Amino acid sequence: MQVTQDMTQTAPASNMISVRGLGRRYGSFTALDALDLDVKRGEFVTLLGPSGSGKSTLLNLISGMVEASEGTIRIDGRDATHLPTNQRGLGMVFQNYALMPHMTVFENIAFPLQVRKVPKPEIKARVRDVLKLIQLENVADRKPRQLSGGQQQRISLARCIVYRPSIILMDEPLGALDKKLREDMQLEIKRLHAELGVTLIYVTHDQEEALAMSDRIVLMRKGRIEQQGAPEEMYFRPDTLFTADFLGSSNLFQGQIDSQAGCLVTPQGRLPLPAARSGAPANGQAVLMLRPESMRLVPEDQASGGLTGTMADSIVLGSFVRHFISLPGGKRAIVQEPSGPSHPRPVRGATVGLAWAPDSARLLPTDPDFPNL
Amino acid sequence: MNPFRHGAGTLLVPTIAWITYLFLLVPSLIVIPISFGGPGEMEFPPRTWTLDLYRQFFGDPTWWGSLMQSLKVAVLVMILTTVIGVPAAYVLQRSRVPGRTIFNGLAMGPLLVPVIVLALGLYLQMAPYGLLNNSLTVVLAHTMLAMPFMLISVGAALRHLDPAYEQVALIMGAGKMRIFFRVVLPQLRSGIMAGALFAFLISLDEVVISYFITGPDTETLPVKMYSALRWEVSPVIAAVSTLLTVISLAFALGVMWLERRDKAH
Repeated sequence: MQVTQDMTQTAPASNMISVRGLGRRYGSFTALDALDLDVKRGEFVTLLGPSGSGKSTLLNLISGMVEASEGTIRIDGRDATHLPTNQRGLGMVFQNYALMPHMTVFENIAFPLQVRKVPKPEIKARVRDVLKLIQLENVADRKPRQLSGGQQQRISLARCIVYRPSIILMDEPLGALDKKLREDMQLEIKRLHAELGVTLIYVTHDQEEALAMSDRIVLMRKGRIEQQGAPEEMYFRPDTLFTADFLGSSNLFQGQIDSQAGCLVTPQGRLPLPAARSGAPANGQAVLMLRPESMRLVPEDQASGGLTGTMADSIVLGSFVRHFISLPGGKRAIVQEPSGPSHPRPVRGATVGLAWAPDSARLLPTDPDFPNL
Repeated sequence: MNPFRHGAGTLLVPTIAWITYLFLLVPSLIVIPISFGGPGEMEFPPRTWTLDLYRQFFGDPTWWGSLMQSLKVAVLVMILTTVIGVPAAYVLQRSRVPGRTIFNGLAMGPLLVPVIVLALGLYLQMAPYGLLNNSLTVVLAHTMLAMPFMLISVGAALRHLDPAYEQVALIMGAGKMRIFFRVVLPQLRSGIMAGALFAFLISLDEVVISYFITGPDTETLPVKMYSALRWEVSPVIAAVSTLLTVISLAFALGVMWLERRDKAH
């Protein structure tokens, strides 16, 4: 991959971005708290988290829009902590596209090349090539406002990749698009990432988007990294309640560990514990997490740990069905099963049992932010 | 329930509105028919319809000379206000320079100080240096007066300009100058045009300060009119007033047309 001119001299480091002890405070509020993060060359990393978790602050620190209160940022092996934004050799895609309204599509995409003093004939050729890459060759002479939202976002992608920055930052780039278009654009961005081999840092609060696109998800909470890892790992092996709750839907049962019997004593039943319990407390209070698709409906007498309830509702979502089951103590469980004739739906009000393979459950420590489980 | 929906209400509101419009407009419009009256008279409605007053105006070099002086000053004020005001508004709006609020307040000062005080101050300050009766002094004084309007109108345009445009340009590697000229300036066009229009009109009809600091060689049209009214009530005044109204109106309409064409594109 070609990188920007001022970065070609430095020896290739395995980490494209390396952040150490990075912090940012606004008065007494800590937006980012002594954070460490490494991003490998060519990696697709998603910063995921609720608003105020520090993901945008981290992105703005990497881009240089915001000055660090402490810590260092290295970009491609070079200390960039105090480097001006326009010398960091980055590309960025914004949620509102930020295409210059007074320029045509061609002028918009040519702008970063003009900044780099690329000769005119080459500019023409490169803009044409990149428009071809995003399959929008016939809009070069239009103004951005004459294009749809999806087209505008593709133009802003084109404007970013045309000058081949080594790192592209994306700040909720699909937030303003509707669902169908968003899915198309997710594939498009993944395709461009694979074709160009660029390092991509993607900010979103949409967990589905993060799961669908990333090589690695960095889940943030209150200015710190809560957990990071590959999407499957984050989804099936969360280390904390926050991760379990933020990614996908989950059934959470709090209770007292009975290590001799190998179960968690909850108001709903004595639920069997998984064999793997790393990171979870050995005794005392803990929370058992079960994904809806790990559970199934069974006759009462076959229920795992005696967990039974009454059918409250069930909805068909195409290829699968989602059952809502009222449990003792006012709790409600979600069970997801494949739909179709082989899985008959129990009638509303029927008593059903819930079962699962013990190792598909995950034992997690309690969290004061999740009090009533 | 809307009390104006029935009966007299449906007529009352438009009637009041029209009376108000007429009240505002008639004093300025009445000079137009008068300006087409005969020489040596100044009455409404005029007894005869002629262009004599206009002939009188253009036949007298002191009259149209002062019109040219006014136009020259107004155009220079417009240019100077734009050249100084637009970058100043940008700095005041976007940078984090310490003392920004104080500077902002100072720049708005001419709006708050009574014009007569400004005029007297300028007169006392300029006189010892022999800078009275000097076109440049008039231009600078009017620029000072017009500057707040440019700062307000460009400042408002900047507040509506999403900083993401500047951020994305910066990330793409653009320098400050390129961002200002290629990204910011083109998007401030209507704000700048509005500010320039104000500057032109403020200079064109400014009389108090000009009266204090101009002399026989630099007299602007409003000053000349005021002097003419003081010594003899010449009916030429009606023709001059009409001309001045037409110039202001034409200029304002021109700018509005440009702005509309800008938006249509």
